[in-house]
Parts: sequence; C-alpha cells; structure tokens
Amino acid sequence: MKNSLRYAAVGAAGLLAFTLAGCTGGAPGGGGNDDPNTITFMIGNPEDPADLELTEADMAKFEEESGIKVDLKVIPIENVQTIVQTQLRSGEGPDVFGYDTGPGFAGALAEAGLVFPLTDAYEELDWPIYDFAKERVTFDGEIVGIPNDIETLGLYYNSTVFDELGIDRPESTGDLLDACQTIQDAGLIPIALNDLDGWQGGHYLSVILSSMVGSAGMEEFVDGTKSWDSPEVVEALSLLDEFNKAGCFPPSPVAIDYDNGNALFYSGQAAMNLTGSWLVKDTERNVDFEVAYIPFPAPDGPGIFSGGLGAGVFINATSKKTESAIKFLDYLMTQEHGAWVIQNAQSIPAFPIDTSGVEATPLFTQVLDDAAKIADGTGDFGYNIDVLTSTEFNQAMWDGVQAVLTGQATPEEVAANLEAAR
Amino acid sequence: MTIASRSLAPTVTRRAQARLGIALVLPVMIVTALFFLFPLGNALYYSMVDFDGLDPNPPFVGFDNFTRMFSDPAVWHALGNNLIWIVVGTASPMVIGLLVAMLLWTVRRGGAIYRVIFFLPYVLPGVAIGIVWGWIYDPVNGLLNQFLRAVGLGDLATGWLGEPDLALYAVLLTAIWAGTGFAVVIFLSALRNVDTELVDASRIDGANSAQRLWFIILPQIMPVFLMVLTLTLVGGFSVFDIVFIMTAGGPSNATEVLGTYAYDQAFVLNNIGYGTTLALLITILSVPIAVLLNRLQRRLSLQGTGA
Repeated sequence: MKNSLRYAAVGAAGLLAFTLAGCTGGAPGGGGNDDPNTITFMIGNPEDPADLELTEADMAKFEEESGIKVDLKVIPIENVQTIVQTQLRSGEGPDVFGYDTGPGFAGALAEAGLVFPLTDAYEELDWPIYDFAKERVTFDGEIVGIPNDIETLGLYYNSTVFDELGIDRPESTGDLLDACQTIQDAGLIPIALNDLDGWQGGHYLSVILSSMVGSAGMEEFVDGTKSWDSPEVVEALSLLDEFNKAGCFPPSPVAIDYDNGNALFYSGQAAMNLTGSWLVKDTERNVDFEVAYIPFPAPDGPGIFSGGLGAGVFINATSKKTESAIKFLDYLMTQEHGAWVIQNAQSIPAFPIDTSGVEATPLFTQVLDDAAKIADGTGDFGYNIDVLTSTEFNQAMWDGVQAVLTGQATPEEVAANLEAAR
Repeated sequence: MTIASRSLAPTVTRRAQARLGIALVLPVMIVTALFFLFPLGNALYYSMVDFDGLDPNPPFVGFDNFTRMFSDPAVWHALGNNLIWIVVGTASPMVIGLLVAMLLWTVRRGGAIYRVIFFLPYVLPGVAIGIVWGWIYDPVNGLLNQFLRAVGLGDLATGWLGEPDLALYAVLLTAIWAGTGFAVVIFLSALRNVDTELVDASRIDGANSAQRLWFIILPQIMPVFLMVLTLTLVGGFSVFDIVFIMTAGGPSNATEVLGTYAYDQAFVLNNIGYGTTLALLITILSVPIAVLLNRLQRRLSLQGTGA
C-alpha cells in the first residue's frame, strides 16, 4: 500500500486537482459543512508545493464557473488510506476524495458501501473515460469513481552524458549492462535506484518483467494463470541482482529514498533514473541537460513501457452534497480542464483530449504519444504490478526486492514468497 | 485514622468526608477510565475480532489473533530487535548520561551552556531527527561517509541504513544521541542533592573515583537512576517513530520492531485486529517492568536512600 499511495501521490502531484485527487484523503464533507454550495475535497500533499498552488488556482476557476465553493484539504500522502477509511466509516469524511483505484483499494471501499455509485452520472453526463480505465473503478457492475491520469514506467537517461561517453540508447539488457560499465568508468552512478521506501522495488520488478514477458505474459501473472514463482519471475529478480552486483546501482540502494534518488539524477551524479512519467515535469524543472525516456530493455530487445492508471476521484456515499460533487467531477471531465491539466501539470487524463493546441516539451510529447497508444490499445504495454495486486502481495514484493538487493534472500525464495502472498 | 476513630465521628462528618473523598478521586477516576480503561477495553475487543478497517461488524475470532501472534516468526524477529534496542538503547544513555553528568557536576563555569547543548537533541521532534540523520547516513552524499573518506577511512563508508546487519544499530545510535541529554539533565539534578561531605570523607578514606561513584554517589541518586531506567526501558518496548522514519522496518524487515510491525499490520495490511493484538503485547511486556522498577524506586525512597 505504501508504494501504491506513493505512486498515486507522485502521479497526483503532476495532475493537480484532478490528479491530486488520486492521492486525496478525507475531510468533513458528509457532515463537516452544512453549506449546500460548499464541498470538501481532500488531497494528499503533492511532491512540489508549486503544484498545490496550481491546484488552488484550478479550484478557484471551478468556483467561479459553478458557484460551488471547494474546501480543499491537504493531508500527508502516507496517511491517505488510514484517514479516508476512518472518516468514511465514521459517516463523516470528505464529499469528494482521491484514492487508489483497483480491487485492493477503491474496490474495498465499494464493497463496504462507502463510495457513491456513479453509473447513472456516467450515462447522464456522458463522461468519455477510456473503457480500460473505467474497468479499474467498476466493482460488481457499478462505476464508483473517475480514474485519474494515464502513466507509464520507464527509464530516464541523461542523453548529454550518453553522447559524451559515446553510448547509444540501450536496445537490450546486455547493452544496458555495457552502458553501466562505461558510466561507472566515468565516475558516475549508472542508475539511481532508490529503494528505502520499498515501493520503488516493485516498479523495477514491473518494468523488468514486463519487458521480459510482454503484455500478454503480464496479464497471465495478474489474472492468476501463471504463478509468481515461475522461471520468468526468478529470471527478472536475478537480472536485478546481476545489475546490482555489476555496480549499476548506487552503493546500498535500499538506504536511498525516492527524493534523494531523483536528486542523484537531477544533479548529474547518476546517468539514469527508473521511475514514472509523472516525473517528467519535475525532471525538466530540475536538470540542465538533455533527457530521454525509454522502456527498460528486454534481454533480447528494446522492451516495453509499463503503463496504467494513477489513482481516481470518488464521492463519499454519505455526502449530502452529491449533486455539487458530481458537478465538480463533471468539471474535471471537461475538454478544457483536460487540456489545461496536460499543459500545466504535464499529466494525461484518462479520456480523449484534443491536444492540437497544447504546447508541450518534446519529452512530454513523447509521453503523450505513448499514453495515446495505451488508450487506443495500439501499443504493447506491460503493467505496474502494485496497482493491480493486493496489499499483502505488494508487501511481499517490496520486501522481496529489498531482500534480493541486500542479499537476504535469493530470487527463488522471493518468487516463492510472492506466490504465497498472491 | 483508625477504624475505631472513624466510627466515633459524627455521621454528618463521615458523609462529608466521603463526599470530599469522592470529589477528590473522581477526576482521577474519570481520567483513568477515559484514557486507560476505555482504550484498554477497546483494544481487547479489537484483538478478538477480525477487523479490516471497513467492516462495521467484524467477525469474532476469539483468541485466534493471540494464537497467530505466538506462531508468527516475524513477531519473534521484531521482539529480538526490541530486546537489542532495550539492552543497547538503555545501557548506553544511562552510562553515557551518568558519566557526562558527573563531568558537568564539577564544571564551575558555563554549566548552563553544556546542559542546553546536551539537552537540545532531546527536545527536537523525533521526525526531524530521523530525517536529518537519514541524510547524514546517506550512502552517496551523507556527511558520515564523506567524513570517513576525508579522514582516510573510506573503506568504512557504507550504506548505514541499507545494510541488514548494521541498520538497526545505526538507528539506535541516532536514538542514543537524541535520548542521552535527558539522562544527563536528570542525573545532574540528582547529583546536586548528593551529600558532598560523604564524598569528601570517602576521598579522605582513600576511595578512588569508581569506588566513590559506586558506593557513595550512586546509592544517593538511585531512585532517580531507577526512574530514568524505567522510562528508557519502557521506551525500548514501545519504540516506533525513529525506526519508522529512518527505515520503516527495512531493509526487508531487518529493523522491524514490535511497534513498526503492529503499525504495518494495522494500517498497511488492514489487519487491525492483529495489529491491536501486537500493540497489546507491547503493553503486556512493558507494564510489569515499569511497575517493578517503580516499586523498587518507591521502596528506596521510603528507606531514605537517594537524592
């Protein structure tokens, strides 16, 4: 869950109000404010305070257009699940809140009857959420939220350094290992792996395994057709171990947190950084070199991105202001707002947006194109595992990757633990 | 007042005394019920249900959570780390605190400055301490590794929080740094009440420093010593914040203590019933020790021993 929330958090930080909703929590909405024209909307704190200012501006725009006041509550991202669950159960909580999608998160709230059904609103207001995204917020045939942004996991690299060292874009894991050696020889850290928080390890397993087995193979793992202790998972974990032992990562990567890992890349101390497309904006803000974004390579090819959704926006089942809350969600679904989010937050809503008038950097344009392929189903994309699996499995995965990186467990042992935690 | 004398008192007086007694104990009873008995009863209830944080009517499971706790290897691993924390994390601040207090006891000028310097870490928020020490321990840009490299000890540079065999001790060192100031200040206050004539007499009799400390000074400050020992010891069972901030129990559970394990079970994995059971274990382990040391401290005080 920690990673999932973190994942939602960083993604949310990019998509502002809409995206922030992905990592939002709860405020008194069901009972905290009696003004029918005021709704409470709680969000997890974004990585960058500047994003919060943008969110506030976005809320102000909605207030001006609708006459409905939004009481924005910001809570620590790591407490979102606890706060939301507690407040919703108590019959209080926010009118609108962000939460992770998928069966382990929003699905659990839906099962307990804590979220407001939105199937009718979808029909009446014709919200054009992509079908694959809608599935992530549909439980027992009822749609209960609107999914946030589309995200990918991939490898950022410092193309200026790559050019200086004469390294071509890695087209296989062999190429990547060679690049690691060249970068190490130049006195730099090849890949800024950071796994103190644990959830980042799940992303590494996701991208390595996705590139190794493709989208069809990942589907088999997620739907249970294939067991998690199969040779492919062991091979993926072994590859991670091999990269670690080859010096591709910083010393003791499990002692480095996400922010410090990113800082290694921003500062030029590390030449590559594996994380999500939500970091495009922060990366471009913080670096003074050229950056490219590619999939983590497969053993025999360039590999595929892992793709999927961030979090979602939901309405409290006990809210007395569902009408205003639905108007708020409808605002988030407008073309105008979607385009604004893309341009300002560099994040991609989970519904079609005409981007012809949107100004975007080359790097973000690439991410937009990739996201479009996820949306229309034309691309081959793997999965980010932790948003599709249970918290027990995620915990086993995060602990397992840390164990491999610190030599506390073998890939075979970790794979067996994953299957046991399924 | 004896039973006989009570029976001789007028009825009105007895009633007034009873009312006064009730009025005097009522606030304490309310506070105890509100902040101790009610939470304890609540915890006992949740330890006997399978509560996931969502179901308003969680199924009753009896003692299943307790059975599970005793057969859970992660509990024993966490308890082992707690024991390390208790032994090292109690002995170190006690010894260091006493020695520093002894040194400061003899300081004639600038004592207040030293007291502030030593006490300052204790008043800093645990979260801030954890974050700052996390930076210090950073394997790439951390001050500790940079210092080691600067003085030619680069071979010792390592990822302090990332090595399973080292991480717990690295966090412990931070906790000792943060907590020793408390022991220093309390011991120093106690030393001010030590009968210096006895110390001087023992010196004349030929007692060396260690003998004076052991036979003359320590007995006089024993109740205070036991009070600090109790607080530090119980803190070893309930340690949570600094471990949570610095390692969250990692890498791969290497620094897991009962507090972080209970938190993970309750708030990460949504096994709130089981997490509550683990929290009760912390209480069950720490309360008897606290009571025992408290009684010892009281007995010494009644005997007239101590500062």
